Amino acid sequence: MEAPPVAVMPVTGGTINMMEYLLQGSVLDQALESLLHRLRGLCDNMEPETFTDHELVYLLKGQQGNPFILRARRSLSHPTSPWHLRYLGQPEVGDKSRHALVRNCVDVAASHSLPEFLNEMGFRMDHEFVANGHIFRKGAMKVVVSKLSRILVPGNTENTERLSLSCLVELSLLAPAGQDTASEEMRSFAEQLKPLVHLEKIDPSKQRH
Amino acid sequence: MSLMRSELHFSNVSFCSVCQVPVAEGKSVQHTVDVLHKKLEQMGSVKQGSFCVDCETYHATNVSGQPSKLLYVMHNSETPRSCMALYEGGPCIVADANFDVLMVKLKSHFQNAKGHKVECRGSRYRYCDFLIKVGTVTMSSSARGISVEVEYCPCVVPGDCWNLMKEFMQSFLGPSVPELPSVFATKPEGLFAQAEIVDTMTQYLELFNKLRKSQIPGSNVR
Amino acid sequence: MADVVNVGVNLEAFSHAISGIQALRSSVSRVFEFLKDGMKNRETLEGREKQFIAEFQDNLQAVNRDLNELERLSGLVGRPSESHPLHNSGLLSLDPVQDKTPLYSQLLQAYKWSNKLQYHAGLASSLLNQQSLKRSANQMGASAKRRPKVQPSTLVLPPQYVDDVISRIGRMFPDMTIELFRPNGTSAVLLVTLGKVFKALLVMRSLFIDRTLVRGYNENNYNEDGKLDIWTKSKYQVFQKVTDHASTALLHYQLPQMPDVVVRSFMTWLRSYIKLFQSPCQRCGRFLQDGLPPTWRDFRTLEAFHDTCRM
Repeated sequence: MEAPPVAVMPVTGGTINMMEYLLQGSVLDQALESLLHRLRGLCDNMEPETFTDHELVYLLKGQQGNPFILRARRSLSHPTSPWHLRYLGQPEVGDKSRHALVRNCVDVAASHSLPEFLNEMGFRMDHEFVANGHIFRKGAMKVVVSKLSRILVPGNTENTERLSLSCLVELSLLAPAGQDTASEEMRSFAEQLKPLVHLEKIDPSKQRH
Repeated sequence: MSLMRSELHFSNVSFCSVCQVPVAEGKSVQHTVDVLHKKLEQMGSVKQGSFCVDCETYHATNVSGQPSKLLYVMHNSETPRSCMALYEGGPCIVADANFDVLMVKLKSHFQNAKGHKVECRGSRYRYCDFLIKVGTVTMSSSARGISVEVEYCPCVVPGDCWNLMKEFMQSFLGPSVPELPSVFATKPEGLFAQAEIVDTMTQYLELFNKLRKSQIPGSNVR
Repeated sequence: MADVVNVGVNLEAFSHAISGIQALRSSVSRVFEFLKDGMKNRETLEGREKQFIAEFQDNLQAVNRDLNELERLSGLVGRPSESHPLHNSGLLSLDPVQDKTPLYSQLLQAYKWSNKLQYHAGLASSLLNQQSLKRSANQMGASAKRRPKVQPSTLVLPPQYVDDVISRIGRMFPDMTIELFRPNGTSAVLLVTLGKVFKALLVMRSLFIDRTLVRGYNENNYNEDGKLDIWTKSKYQVFQKVTDHASTALLHYQLPQMPDVVVRSFMTWLRSYIKLFQSPCQRCGRFLQDGLPPTWRDFRTLEAFHDTCRM
């Protein structure tokens, strides 16, 4: 294991200013099979991939302003793989003609001591859920079709209950800021999924009740 | 989203021991480092590039009243894609380099103590299956001390090879060899738990904190 | 190029030869034609016979003449197929596009190789036969004569039996875990994990250990495609040394009639490495020599020695 020369190594690593482009929609369970069938045909030829994830949403409350939200995910089907910690920024306002929701995004892979560590940092778990479903890829785009279930007893991922009788469909893409051709590509892909599912730009901040 | 591919170094790290080497009386840090290099080369060690360990300190801004615990974020050139975050004596995580970006996002909650940045840079030497790293510890651009890290790469359990390691360290550090690093002694599984990258970083952190507290010995600064 | 010209010259001789053959055939058929027709009607019986014999002789002479002519021509034509040492394959050398299809030179090369291989294999087999006799004489004395009968049967033990023996040995050593794989057919590969010290790969043929490779506890034993990697040696010098010593041990522990005892003795010996990094050398009392711990274990006493400190 030869270390690279120290001089060329940045002290802080990571990719700054990655943006998530997102379109969302939902499909009823009855129509799920035909959607999956369509996606299998449209997306890159790969082994069908399924997942079962446990997501915990953490809040860090400051003295003022909105709480800082972090999402920690772990795979229930691959218990040894790292945890996935995700920060999502506020959706960008401005350009109304843009076809997808755009927000800042930081993805971090972390070791299994993550929950304990977040607690020490002052984060508190707000809610948790289990998501299971299918992943498809088309170039840089990712399509996730997932069923969401609420956890009845905190921490017990065995004991869950479906949130609704429909599936969440998300089409997303990660790109450095300012690559607006990405949203165009996403829109044309979303067109091809109609009328099975209508993928739209949904602002989560306007969904609060 | 379950699709993460990452290069985290969780385990499978061999046993490392980090210790401080006192600067020789009336000599500069650089001189002491040169003496160590010469000794290693005489033994037949081969120089293999350089290394760097750094440490940033953060403190929480939103806790009013009591002093908050310090959060340390460290990097090691041996695991260039990883980032280690730890609380002294508390929990720690190994994350990928994006954790640094996350800390930037968190800057309204965690403030970087700029003056507290510590760096340790130096040369790597290989002798048989041993990896020896002699580093100069600098804080705000002044050399504060010398670190020596010895890694016995084939062995993953500290309890197995501590005596062997001690014998090796005596061969170039002289009889004043340190005791078994406390990070291993305090593990609940005892000395026979597998070593982790975090154990190495904890040792560096302890060394940095010790050097930070010590007075700058005026004559020894380069 | 010379070959091509030769062929051109020969072609003419060929056409001559072919017409020679045609002539011969027609003269031969004339003989039989004549015989079939029988004697022609003449005044006297004597005259008939005389006439018949004279004509028959003429015909035979014609056959003889044609045959001689053909023989002469065939000398001109030559025998291209037999003039090459590799018989018909020699015709490949006539291929004018040598540069594109160097088949002939490759063929010659392969032929040389296979000859050499056969020769060396023969030598090796005779040498090995002598060795194995010596070894068995040491170990078994008088029963050496029976060995040729026994060995083939121990080489075709049922996999189930091998599994049983291995799992029994596995239970004997709690600090050793043995995983059994059969990546190719019935031959087993054992992955022995010794505490947190090392992992040893043992390639088996039935119950005989064919090959061993020791790697560090934190080293990878699988290829990128998820298959067992039985070739790449350890990157650590200490385990390269242990691999060498383990191969020596494989040669030392030999008892062809009781292969399970051999595996058990070898495992017992291998297990003594559990304190590889913890035991000082029994002779010099130190842990390290040239940066290596005591890597040798005595076959009988299992005591630890540096490679250079052993008797």
